[in-house]
Amino acid sequence: MAENEWKPKIIAFVCNWCTYAGADLAGTSRLKYDVNVRVIKLPCTGRIDPLFIIKAFEQGADGVLVSGCHPGDCHYTSGNYHARRRWIVFSELLRFFGIPEDRVQFAWVSAAEGAKWATLVNEVVAKVRQLGPFTAYRELETTEVLS
Amino acid sequence: MAEFKLNEAKLDELVNALKSEGYRVVAPVEEEGVFVFKEVVDPGEMRLDVLRTARSIKEWFFPRVEPTLRYKFDRGSVTCKGEMPQSPPKTVIIGCRPCDSASLPILDKLFDWDFRDEYWFKRREATTVVAVACDAPDSYCFCTSVGGSPDGTAGSDLLMRKTVGGCYLFESFTKKGWSIIETAKGTLEPAGQNEKVLVGEVPKRFDLNSVKPWLDNNFDHDYWKEISYKCLSCGACAFVCPTCHCFDIQDEADLQGGVRLKGWDSCCLPIFTRHGSGYNPRDTRDARYRQRVMHKFTYYVDKFGLTACVGCGRCCVSCPIDMNICTVVAGAAELAETST
Amino acid sequence: MIEELRHKARELLEKGQVELVIGYGAGSDPTRTMPVFIRRPEDCDHLVWNKYCYNNLTSYLTWPELKTAGKRAVVCKGCDAKAIVVLCKENRIEREEVVVIGMSCEGVGEPLFGKCEFCDVRTPKTCDIQIGATLPPLSKDNLFEDVRQLEAGNAAERWEFWRRQFSRCIKCYACRQACPLCYCTQCIVERNQPQWIATSSHPKGNFAWNVVRALHLAGRCIGCGECERVCPSNIPLMLANKKLAQVVKEQFGYESGYDIDEPLPMASFMPDDSDELFK
Repeated sequence: MAENEWKPKIIAFVCNWCTYAGADLAGTSRLKYDVNVRVIKLPCTGRIDPLFIIKAFEQGADGVLVSGCHPGDCHYTSGNYHARRRWIVFSELLRFFGIPEDRVQFAWVSAAEGAKWATLVNEVVAKVRQLGPFTAYRELETTEVLS
Repeated sequence: MAEFKLNEAKLDELVNALKSEGYRVVAPVEEEGVFVFKEVVDPGEMRLDVLRTARSIKEWFFPRVEPTLRYKFDRGSVTCKGEMPQSPPKTVIIGCRPCDSASLPILDKLFDWDFRDEYWFKRREATTVVAVACDAPDSYCFCTSVGGSPDGTAGSDLLMRKTVGGCYLFESFTKKGWSIIETAKGTLEPAGQNEKVLVGEVPKRFDLNSVKPWLDNNFDHDYWKEISYKCLSCGACAFVCPTCHCFDIQDEADLQGGVRLKGWDSCCLPIFTRHGSGYNPRDTRDARYRQRVMHKFTYYVDKFGLTACVGCGRCCVSCPIDMNICTVVAGAAELAETST
Repeated sequence: MIEELRHKARELLEKGQVELVIGYGAGSDPTRTMPVFIRRPEDCDHLVWNKYCYNNLTSYLTWPELKTAGKRAVVCKGCDAKAIVVLCKENRIEREEVVVIGMSCEGVGEPLFGKCEFCDVRTPKTCDIQIGATLPPLSKDNLFEDVRQLEAGNAAERWEFWRRQFSRCIKCYACRQACPLCYCTQCIVERNQPQWIATSSHPKGNFAWNVVRALHLAGRCIGCGECERVCPSNIPLMLANKKLAQVVKEQFGYESGYDIDEPLPMASFMPDDSDELFK
């Protein structure tokens, strides 16, 4: 692979109790999957503020993945229910503003679903690779408003 | 005495002549239903008939946001790179009003006060200002109450005055103004001796001489509370104002480095004076609005000998709740009369 | 209607039922009005009512300086009065502290504002004193037509549209200050440890600001349109707010500003909310 070939940068915001454990399981099971994902662990998907996703894009992410416990299985009982509503609204807003759907993806991955995690990551990275680098967002970067 | 005039049918030619001479031409242009000063791409976009643009020309000298410094972190050390306006292009602003151009000498004083702000002055040096006199002011104009007039010349290099015959008289005052006339020679005609100029009138609405002493002696007057109940504490008035100049310094950085930005701020915004401790001396709207009026009409006068208001009326037009600074100051003038 | 309004307001003050009346008064020119704060019954003659009564006066109800003013009466159009419902649900005001003087309204603006074409609260649903005959609601069938039109384009077109719009934002926060539901004592953009949203007026900061403001109003915005009216750059802010109102209605069956007892959509959930989005 050429040194300056673009590698997709995907930030995954995951919950500690389910998805992170599932990712751990994928690791201990020695499952191979795409390496272009950086995992950020949070106690619960309910803790994930949509601003984290905005910040991720501002700082150079090409894609974002959000994953947590299946509805009904939240370690904090209802965190993921609140998150679900939030993501339904936020994803529509981002789509309305013209951010391609495949740049922000959502999933439920439980602690037992190591294989699902591996497949999920591969899928997400493939989709983002297809879309290419998110230069459009970075072009919103600080510029002099008037030259 | 104007020696030259331009037929308004030749405005497009004027723009093209200036562009060929290497000027970046900035003029009122419509943008999504709002008129602002923008670089003119197609001469037909230029609108000299607009009395009042949404924002003033100050953003061509004092941008809404501007990098002043860039820095990189590297293993515990920092390398800085000062950011200066990189040889701002030769620019001509056409179509501002005499009130707009009058704001420039007012702000020159501030930007050369305790520190010479080269960000401001480099742009000033590179820019020629061609104002258009007002033949049809409206009820929001009050330039004559603050020392200006519909055909005032303060701050401009050249003044265009509309004639009855559909021409603009070109009156130049500075070398820069003469350069414009030189460049535009091909489009200009000689002006006659008795050109009939269309003159607008702006009635005087208050007397600054009676206002200032009242302001100096009535800091705690109930008047400030009465007028400021409706203020929403947004920044609209300060941002559209040609003479407002407060700015904030913000660092935007990550682990690799960042940029230091200078950008517009407004004393009307609630946290403008909030201290690091959390204490805010101007916690209420009356304190903030009083500050706005005092700063423009007395503090600035004490420091620099000029009133920091040109009577353009933009704040009144853009205010969500119809706060009219002219009415406020006229009210103070009235109180001054009745108290003597 | 003006005489009735002045009479009722005067009565409220004379009887001591309220200590302050917030209404509309004459503006700088015949096409403007301004908010007036009346404490004395005789000053009620300053109240006006016409198609230039744009402001949403309920935005003053959460100002700390006015909270100590005692019981207040506020003149409301139907759209404005919807904010009272949300403010009560969010525990910012007690319903009993406010007397709502509801004005029957055939629309404001010259030309008529877009929002008025689809108004179903031409006589406010939330009001204590109704001024003017009850007006039938208009159909809301095409309320989201402008949202639909923007969505008819592709993502790239929408991105370019919003990029262009938000590059004109000057970060004056008039939208926030005019909104009755933006009442946070410390707005997210004022938090600087860390600085979540850049305060500077560059496209990156403007985009983040407008995204977050729209999001914080999801399920709350009552569609008074003040944000869009007061924007000095004419940014079509209501498009974003309406889009989210449409999503909240379709997904959660909720419309903001009508039912004071319904749980807030973003502060509640249903176990059977849609999982369509999730892999």
